[in-house]
Amino acid sequence: MAQASTNEIRPGFKVEVEGQPYFVTGNEFVKPGKGQAFNRIRLKHLLTGRVVEKTFKSGEKLELADVNETEMRLLYTEQDGAVFMDDNSFEQVTIPFNSIGDNKRWLKEDLLFGVIFYNGQPVNIDPPTFIELKITETAPGVRGDTASGRVMKPAILETGTEVQVPIFVNEGEVVRIDTRTGEYASRVS
Amino acid sequence: MTQEPVSMPPASLKHLHDRAEMLFRVRSFFADRNILEVDCPILSKAASVDAHIDLIYSESSDVYLHSSPEYGMKKLLALGAGDIYQLSHVFRAGEEGAKHRPEFMMAEWYRIGFSYEQMIDETCAFIQLFVGPMPVKIMSYREALITYTGIDPFYDSIEEHVPKHEGVRSRDDLLNILLALKVEPYLGQDELTVITCYPATQCALAKTETVDGELVAKRFEIYHKGLELANGYDELTDVKEQRRRFIEANELRVQMGKEPLPIDEEFLQCLESLPDCSGVAVGFDRLMMLRHNTDQISDIMI
Repeated sequence: MAQASTNEIRPGFKVEVEGQPYFVTGNEFVKPGKGQAFNRIRLKHLLTGRVVEKTFKSGEKLELADVNETEMRLLYTEQDGAVFMDDNSFEQVTIPFNSIGDNKRWLKEDLLFGVIFYNGQPVNIDPPTFIELKITETAPGVRGDTASGRVMKPAILETGTEVQVPIFVNEGEVVRIDTRTGEYASRVS
Repeated sequence: MTQEPVSMPPASLKHLHDRAEMLFRVRSFFADRNILEVDCPILSKAASVDAHIDLIYSESSDVYLHSSPEYGMKKLLALGAGDIYQLSHVFRAGEEGAKHRPEFMMAEWYRIGFSYEQMIDETCAFIQLFVGPMPVKIMSYREALITYTGIDPFYDSIEEHVPKHEGVRSRDDLLNILLALKVEPYLGQDELTVITCYPATQCALAKTETVDGELVAKRFEIYHKGLELANGYDELTDVKEQRRRFIEANELRVQMGKEPLPIDEEFLQCLESLPDCSGVAVGFDRLMMLRHNTDQISDIMI
């Protein structure tokens, strides 16, 4: 298995520590003048999202996790999973909802998602940073209130998830949402 | 043909001027005290031997870049040069991070007949050139560890308090991790904090003494806002003891899978005529980080 030294590891690397796959989110070099150097590496568990900090001797080698991301199109969702297809190879994979976790709220058919494979198995998805979704349900905005800035109201989107949108946005309109924060970005139509 | 002016963001130009200003003030600080500027070579055939400091080596010329001008300066002290300082770039392989660079600027000076306490006072005055006047708090290594971690470095078990760390065996390594992660970040928030009386096992080139029944090194470090700024010693003049420490450091290096380093015999011999003195090395770039309120050393390096 491929390895990388603590000196080469940067945020974005995928490593395997104690048999568990992690994304590297930070790497700090620590060295008291006369003392031994070490690296404090921040890791986010690939499957659970749990963040841990681990300390390694500087120069130590870490196993790189066999993690790949492939763009795949969501075909449809089933009772307990989502079926994706690779547009080039037509290969299909089913990812159970319990692996998809919170990202389930962004599952819109026919959109391209990053599908993350760990040791050849699909384990999670990486939604597009911005996603355009139609509002299926929201209370009408109160006339005259729009001038006072970003007054927000709840809205249900076509994927069934609830977000906050400005009160001037109406049912049936399409909005752009930042999937990293779940926040409204702009109105599309 | 007209040449485009070199574009440089105003911030780095401002740093450039301030850097020049501080180099000038540093030289004035030493001139006011009759400390002579020296310029010992940066290249050396023999190396400074330190378990945890790796040197940059040129194979084609068989020379090392110095990690501090200490050995050269001590040779001058032994010849009777008197009080001396050197402002020098120094080099350490593999040290790269928010607070580290493999090349950085060090101010190092030696005072004949100075006690360790006098040296602490003068070093604090030097640091205050950069950060302005502020209170100084002195605490022993043991006090610092107990205050911030509740662990007595001389008696308590440490393993359970240190994050899992492959390949670390010695108690000193564990103590170092503990100090770096749980103590250093809190030191000198609104003052200069001086840590004294290091465990004798971390004495490097310092004399040792017995304090409260424990053998400790007459070594100090000074911190401000969690940054390690200075490392000073009451300088060891015992040739036999110094040789023993070099051999020990080399043994540690071998245990860690590193190359042992050639011992500088000329340096060892000069210790015989080294006058009683104290010395200190201060990281110039870290002081500039504090002046410019940044936690990234790259922000203030040219």
